[in-house]
Amino acid sequence: MRKFLATVTTLSTLAALPWLTLAADEALPKGEVILDQFVEATGGKAAYEKIHSEVATGSFELTGKGIRGSVTSFKAAPNKIYLTIDLAGIGKMEDGSNGEIAWNRSALQGPRIKEGDERAAALREATFNEPLHWRKLYKSVETVGIEKVDDKDCYKVVLTPLEGKAQTQFFDRQSHLLVKFAMTLSSPMGEVAVESRLGDYRKDGDLLTPHRLEQSAMGQQFVITIDTVKWNEEIPKSRFDLPADVAALLPKAATK
Amino acid sequence: MAAAGSLAGAEPTLTAQQRRLNLDSFEFVWTTVRDQYWDPKLGGLNWQAVREEFLPAMQNAETMSQARQVLERMIGRLGQSHFAIIPGFVYEDLGAKRDGEEGGAGVTGIDTRVIGGRILVTQVDDGSPAAAQGVRPGWIIVRIEGREMAPAIAKVAEAYQKSTQRELMLHHAMQARMSGRVGGTRRIEFLDGADKVVEKNIRLMMPPGELAIFGLLPPTPVWFHARKLPSGIQYVAFNLFLDPARLMTAFGDAVASTGENSGFIIDLRGNPGGLGIMATGMAGWFIDKPNQQLGTMQTRQSTLKFIVNPRLPAYRGPVAMLVDGTSASTSEIFAGGLQALGRARIFGSQTAGAALPSLIDQLPNGDAFQHANANYISEGGRTLEGAGVTPDLEVIPTREALLAGRDPVLDAAVKWIGAQK
Repeated sequence: MRKFLATVTTLSTLAALPWLTLAADEALPKGEVILDQFVEATGGKAAYEKIHSEVATGSFELTGKGIRGSVTSFKAAPNKIYLTIDLAGIGKMEDGSNGEIAWNRSALQGPRIKEGDERAAALREATFNEPLHWRKLYKSVETVGIEKVDDKDCYKVVLTPLEGKAQTQFFDRQSHLLVKFAMTLSSPMGEVAVESRLGDYRKDGDLLTPHRLEQSAMGQQFVITIDTVKWNEEIPKSRFDLPADVAALLPKAATK
Repeated sequence: MAAAGSLAGAEPTLTAQQRRLNLDSFEFVWTTVRDQYWDPKLGGLNWQAVREEFLPAMQNAETMSQARQVLERMIGRLGQSHFAIIPGFVYEDLGAKRDGEEGGAGVTGIDTRVIGGRILVTQVDDGSPAAAQGVRPGWIIVRIEGREMAPAIAKVAEAYQKSTQRELMLHHAMQARMSGRVGGTRRIEFLDGADKVVEKNIRLMMPPGELAIFGLLPPTPVWFHARKLPSGIQYVAFNLFLDPARLMTAFGDAVASTGENSGFIIDLRGNPGGLGIMATGMAGWFIDKPNQQLGTMQTRQSTLKFIVNPRLPAYRGPVAMLVDGTSASTSEIFAGGLQALGRARIFGSQTAGAALPSLIDQLPNGDAFQHANANYISEGGRTLEGAGVTPDLEVIPTREALLAGRDPVLDAAVKWIGAQK
């Protein structure tokens, strides 16, 4: 679900911090515990390990702007992803990674290969079953407090990746579900602070997944609603091939 | 912008209600700048102190001209020429308030520019009712619906005397006068090529182009023309940066069909802009190196670089862009950026200096407040807002050339491309 963020940031042209309610004498669970609780709350390690691909479809709306479209994502183990958002009046925006190269392209802006922090974030997000593999992706996870998110007490966990900027995730103390996260997205256009809310968790097979994502960035807000999630669908390997105009941007040696 | 007070003659003293409305207008303008100006520090200006300095003058203003001058002096402290107070009577001439049929979607097919104080017909759309009636480029518009145009044009011209948006506003004013209900007519009096008075009743047609739907905008006609000039040069023009799914494809096809050294001309005259990101997308067909940018936009929330993604193989031949005072917003971002990158040569006249969507809010006292909530710096460090793109070669159309069926700006671009081969 988080994969949608980087792509849509190219559309966004722009949060009040919740107050810190950490009781001075309250012991906080370690970040590791909270992340493992999330895996359990959403189905457990065994359920995650049964799946090797995911196809999700849904809709996109730029709130209050009348801009709507469809969203489709394909993911496959261990680290491949292809996502497309097709917006009326704008056209298609695609985003993908073959596990080594992360890219995006659109009718509006043409093709682009992600580099630096942006590439690192894209490869992290392409990691299939990311919740299971956080130990390989982050060098530290630290619980820094408890904050209210929509009147619910949430653990605030700061995750510092091996490469790139830290992000902050908020987990509901009762349900252990991830309900909000905040991060800074890097791209050649600049750095954009992004805040996202996850909700409408539903059971798809053995896993509980969020079906609603609201994201605010640069004063704009959009909502992605997921209608269907299918596990272990056969996805042709070519789905994750680099488009020709993206491959044309690579140094010749890299395309061999 | 000129002090609007100079437009007024002997003015009546303000009533108590008008004074209240002027104070409300003062509050609106001051608050809008405080809350929306792109630089939250207002360039180091103590905005509260500015309020305390000018509020007494507003309270004591005896006439509307004096009240306007207070607001103009206050926003003048920002040092941003695109911030303006537009007198109510000028606002109406810009087409914001329309009487009768004016303001409908119907158009005559005539495009105009005010050159040398005269309203010149610069283009007549092929197949339009105006073309069918024999209207020709180079004719001069004298009256519309019996109303002499010179005084209305003079008012707008004086109000925008010092603004780069003068030509844009004059164009808006003329288009508003010539628009109306589709199927209705406009009675227009011209001076033809022989300076003979000619009156035409011109039926108003649907504007050319395909209706594009983008978000909450009303369906908007968007057209794109591409043709090969006799010299083999590719010429493209489009009226808006909108409908990207269609326009980007058409633009890419035009580039692909252009021989490497044939030359490519992009005509942005009369193009008021649209989706800014389309400028970077189009620039990608002319740039073959990564990490090039057209410029930088700064708002209160962020700084965004207008990065160009190369679309390989990029077109490497000569690129000319045609602009004038009606080229605004995304047109300026596109032209100014490619000029700064050394990738295009610009022909025509200074652009509108309205790179960002300028908001115009009507004030409680009937005047209007024009302001922008972002800043845009073109690659190379040049501020476009309130300044515009300066052509590499200034070319102003003349009546004689238009009557002779020539387009001096296009001719200059063709000549330059010919010299590059």
